[in-house]
Amino acid sequence: MELTTTWYLVLGAIIFAIGASGLMIRRNPLVMFMCVELMLNAVNLTFVAFGRELDDLGGQVSVFFVLVVAAAEVVIGLAIIVAIMRHRSGATADDLSVLRG
Amino acid sequence: MTSTVTAFAQVADFARPPIDWHAVAPELVMLSVGALMIIIDIVKLERAKPYAAALSGLGFLAPLVPIATLAIDGVASEPRVMFGGAYVIDGYSLVLKALFLIVGYLVVLLATNYVGEGDYWETEFYNLLSASVLGMMVMASARDLITIFVALELLSIPAYLLAAWRKRDLKSNEAGLKYYLMGVFASSIMLYGMSLVFGVTGSTLLTEIGATLDDGIGSEPAVTLGIIFVIVGFAFKVSGFPFHTWAPDTYEGAPTPVTAFLAVASKAAGFVALMNLVVIGFVEREEVYQPVIFFIAAGSMFAGNFMALRQDNIVRLMAYSGVAQAGFLLAPLVVVGEGPEVAATAVSSIVTYLVIYAAMNLGVFAVILAVARKTKSGEISSYGGLFDYAPALAVLMTLFLASLGGLPPLGGWYAKFGIFRSLLEPGTGWGYTLAVIAAVNTVIAFGYYGKIASRMWFDAVPDDDRTRIVVPAALATALVLCIAGTIVSGVYPGAVTHFTDVELLAFR
Amino acid sequence: MSEFLRSYLTVGLFGALAVLVVGTFLGLSSLVRPTRPQPQKYINYESGVDPVGTGWSQANIRYYVFALLFVMFDVEAVFIFPWATRLEAYGLFGLVEMFIFIFILLLGLLYAWRKGVLRWI
Repeated sequence: MELTTTWYLVLGAIIFAIGASGLMIRRNPLVMFMCVELMLNAVNLTFVAFGRELDDLGGQVSVFFVLVVAAAEVVIGLAIIVAIMRHRSGATADDLSVLRG
Repeated sequence: MTSTVTAFAQVADFARPPIDWHAVAPELVMLSVGALMIIIDIVKLERAKPYAAALSGLGFLAPLVPIATLAIDGVASEPRVMFGGAYVIDGYSLVLKALFLIVGYLVVLLATNYVGEGDYWETEFYNLLSASVLGMMVMASARDLITIFVALELLSIPAYLLAAWRKRDLKSNEAGLKYYLMGVFASSIMLYGMSLVFGVTGSTLLTEIGATLDDGIGSEPAVTLGIIFVIVGFAFKVSGFPFHTWAPDTYEGAPTPVTAFLAVASKAAGFVALMNLVVIGFVEREEVYQPVIFFIAAGSMFAGNFMALRQDNIVRLMAYSGVAQAGFLLAPLVVVGEGPEVAATAVSSIVTYLVIYAAMNLGVFAVILAVARKTKSGEISSYGGLFDYAPALAVLMTLFLASLGGLPPLGGWYAKFGIFRSLLEPGTGWGYTLAVIAAVNTVIAFGYYGKIASRMWFDAVPDDDRTRIVVPAALATALVLCIAGTIVSGVYPGAVTHFTDVELLAFR
Repeated sequence: MSEFLRSYLTVGLFGALAVLVVGTFLGLSSLVRPTRPQPQKYINYESGVDPVGTGWSQANIRYYVFALLFVMFDVEAVFIFPWATRLEAYGLFGLVEMFIFIFILLLGLLYAWRKGVLRWI
């Protein structure tokens, strides 16, 4: 049995779907961040798989940028959560309902 | 592992990429000013506060100089293309860069007193604002998937922090967190779409993607899914239906100058990215993007207007009004596939709308800030009898609202006219249907704009509190600039179209 | 069987061998050695100090700030590694470029230092 690019793409799609559904279902902001990371890493996997398949450097270069930007995003998100946690403990996304909607 | 090594070996013959320093001068100036502001902050700490606003205002005006020299140099007719087509400086990107810089300057004017009087970090506010505007400037020139992604994140990440600016206010924290979660969700969806498009077309350059899709290669479901995901990702950014739910909460919770920034600049940047992607990259795949954009545009107009009718907080009302305006702005993208001339009209009508929308929307937020200095409230009822004790503000607000509604001879009228013209010109069913929907919604919008106006003119003053509103100099300057822009663009549209009549071309 | 799966078989055999060897030695020694149970011997080991509280106690929030800074600066290395492998080819141009990049990163670190983020309060 040979592992073709399709396998990686399918794996990427599955991870992306897990991340997306997790983000919509879970209510703990930290778990939601993990789901975002899952989605971004699924994207990375897809980029690398395509880059290998097409023998194109663009795929790997994209992954570099996605990695770095994802780290920056998570840092910002954690900073916002820390700011919230200093005022109240055990926040879930549902508890945050000072604003309507 | 071996593949990584061979992949890097491909670039064995490294040649220094030619860099047109004049063409990237606006971004470099902006970057240097940002770095300078951080250095001053590092050296002087608290003592840097008094200069922060003035320095950052200058920082937004300084890059306009290289933009002007580039325009004189004839960039509009002879675009400068760099990095193999990934970065293009043409008339279109120059106009948008100037727009972003001026909006940044106006936001500094709006924020000077607000930030100075609040108990918040001050220098960082302006640093983050500069970083975000730098991202928007890059976005205007980006013609490559990776560049677009990096520009999008450079403009979004500071905006998340700005939304959560009032650190000790739970509302602001919540606004920041909601904006953040929606934003990263959207950018991951968009990225997944980009990875699929890259996989099918084998390139990250928009021109090459356009050429490949034109040849009919890659008609697989992957490219359909990719295009839809990318458009959906940006629909979040521009708060289009059904991805607009974050907008009212974030707008209400964020500090008001930041709300103005998000509503105008950040949204405009989303449209710029959408235009770049759709007009250059996906243009030949009408059957994919036409229904999607049609649905988002029509849905945004209806959802935004009907929800706005039921609001009693003015910032939430402006958020929903912004959703409806996003529908208007998206509409011309539905017809861009009909041919190069149609696409050119559509692009220039959107750019015109963005410029005029910036003037009138920032004007509304300036009035909201001025009134909130006295009432400390965002409820529409607090606007009762504004004309009695602050006639100038009431008149200005009425003019801005009338312009947003589209009453001639104010700027909003000309902006809407351009949208209708670009929708009707190609003579397709999609265009006609959307034009009818837009016309219906223009009428609905008068319902809530009129509600605020009638409050100001006819209602009694709440608690009979007729103390005058002191408008600080910075805010007054912003109001004057906005009203001048709104009136001039309506009375003499040539003044705006002279700059905004731009084309978005693919350079192959 | 393909080349690909055969290499996994090797890994699997090594794993099984490792489990077998470790299991044999641990099992043998437990049979041979004397056992004299005392309560002190069953306390969790924590740097030579008696443990306090449960294993799920919350970490101090100050750790977060350091973790955030670490994550930020750590991933930037991803740009430096490929550059370092090809340094000669890029010449002076590449060197200057990377110094500008590192300078901007350094600004961020200096900023954090001046704002007192690196201080353990």
